[in-house]
Amino acid sequence: MQLSRLSRARRLFAALGAAAGAFLSASEPVAHAQTARFDTTHSFYYEAPLRSRMMVYTPGADLQVTPAEFLDVRAGWEADVVSGASVATKAGAAYQANNAAADVVTTASVRDVRNVAKGGFTLRNREVSLTGGYLYGTENDYRSHAFNVAAKTELFERNTQLELSYARNLDSVCDRVQSVNATAPRARALEDSKGCFTADPLRKKHGLDIDGLQGTWSQAWTPIFLTQIVYSAQILSGFQSNPYRSVILGQGTKAQEHHPENRARHAVAARANLYVRPLRGAFRVGARGYTDSWDIRSITGEAEFERYFGESFRLAVRGRYYNQTGALFWSDDYTGGDAPLGPKGQYFTGDREVSPFASYLVGLRATYSVSPTKRILGLLSGFKLAASADAVQIDYREYTLGGSPISDARAYIFGLSASALF
Amino acid sequence: MPTSALTVRGLWFAVVVLAAPFAAGCVTVKPQERSILADPIMEFEGDARAAAQLRHAIENREGSYGGAGVSGGGCGCN
Repeated sequence: MQLSRLSRARRLFAALGAAAGAFLSASEPVAHAQTARFDTTHSFYYEAPLRSRMMVYTPGADLQVTPAEFLDVRAGWEADVVSGASVATKAGAAYQANNAAADVVTTASVRDVRNVAKGGFTLRNREVSLTGGYLYGTENDYRSHAFNVAAKTELFERNTQLELSYARNLDSVCDRVQSVNATAPRARALEDSKGCFTADPLRKKHGLDIDGLQGTWSQAWTPIFLTQIVYSAQILSGFQSNPYRSVILGQGTKAQEHHPENRARHAVAARANLYVRPLRGAFRVGARGYTDSWDIRSITGEAEFERYFGESFRLAVRGRYYNQTGALFWSDDYTGGDAPLGPKGQYFTGDREVSPFASYLVGLRATYSVSPTKRILGLLSGFKLAASADAVQIDYREYTLGGSPISDARAYIFGLSASALF
Repeated sequence: MPTSALTVRGLWFAVVVLAAPFAAGCVTVKPQERSILADPIMEFEGDARAAAQLRHAIENREGSYGGAGVSGGGCGCN
């Protein structure tokens, strides 16, 4: 039995070795002037809806080296440094009206750091590339292991590109231990992240598995016109609530937010790029339709125009429109359900992301890139600097904080990036 | 609408979608005509990392997902 297994294993390794050998022997030299590339990106996100001043700084750095013509190896790091306030207890207009003397909506200050370490490789021959990667993310209350693979091929004199990718997340979310037999309407929210992912008997973790599949078709139709169609699917299974958030369900009753554990999501996006010679610039337009099993449907429209000023400087203006419906179980006020406690429905949420809303983005991006014919200082074969600024206006149609509409939801996003080729 | 009719329509849709990239094979942009297509200004995401960060900031605050890169690692968005 063991010999048979050993023999099968040897045959499997031999077959894999032969396949890898065939792939590499089919490789043809690919022109690569540089052998390493370093990128660093920094973004600042600031939003100011009612009662929150959420700020997120996201630095990142990536290094890619090309030790052989058929191989790229990458390693990188990214972080989110989060500070501000988030809604800890959500109530709607009806409850607040009956409790006018009390400020039932509470917020809690948030300070967290998400660190992500990632690595990967790409194997390529003339027309095919295979990519694999791994990512580990850690927050005070969240752990993430993510694996991804992708295969890309070019057809018809490289005018057609087809890519298929798959990603699998094995994530964990921290939560408090609930009392025995506590049903969802009696579950209490996590107070803080102390003791998370330790042996603390008052803490436990929930699993969240995510499978993502994506297919992309990119097509060059003329020397100045490209299109792309992308289909994405994602299946989530596990804990998807915010463990810190409570929702008022009835008089004197609040419970930890409770989302369904399963969610299937689909999106189709189409993009087109058109270069306009007299303007020395390119128009980019895109549209995306999205639907999921929580009954959220959305449309996204994007448009951008970027043009050259001189040989090295580019300036882009862009806009984005987004509109979504609310989840099937969304309500701004869950009180008033079945007597005596409610709530309305099996699930309840205080998450504005699953409420119906629209958002509008306008922004600018400036890019300065240099590709000298001779290496700078004998080292740099090129570099790029970019800066961007975007403003987002969000109109929540139903989400309120105790009946107070969030009429001033704006976010500002600033980005800086630099790339160096060696 | 009967389930069988829906299945047939779904199959036709799948066939059309899968066949479309191969039908595009009759379109040919010759290598010497590709200078503009190779320019960074014609990339769908001119700066993929910066675009990914912007997407991360926006989409973690929306109910939707997809149509761009496959990513993961949490959201840092409590």
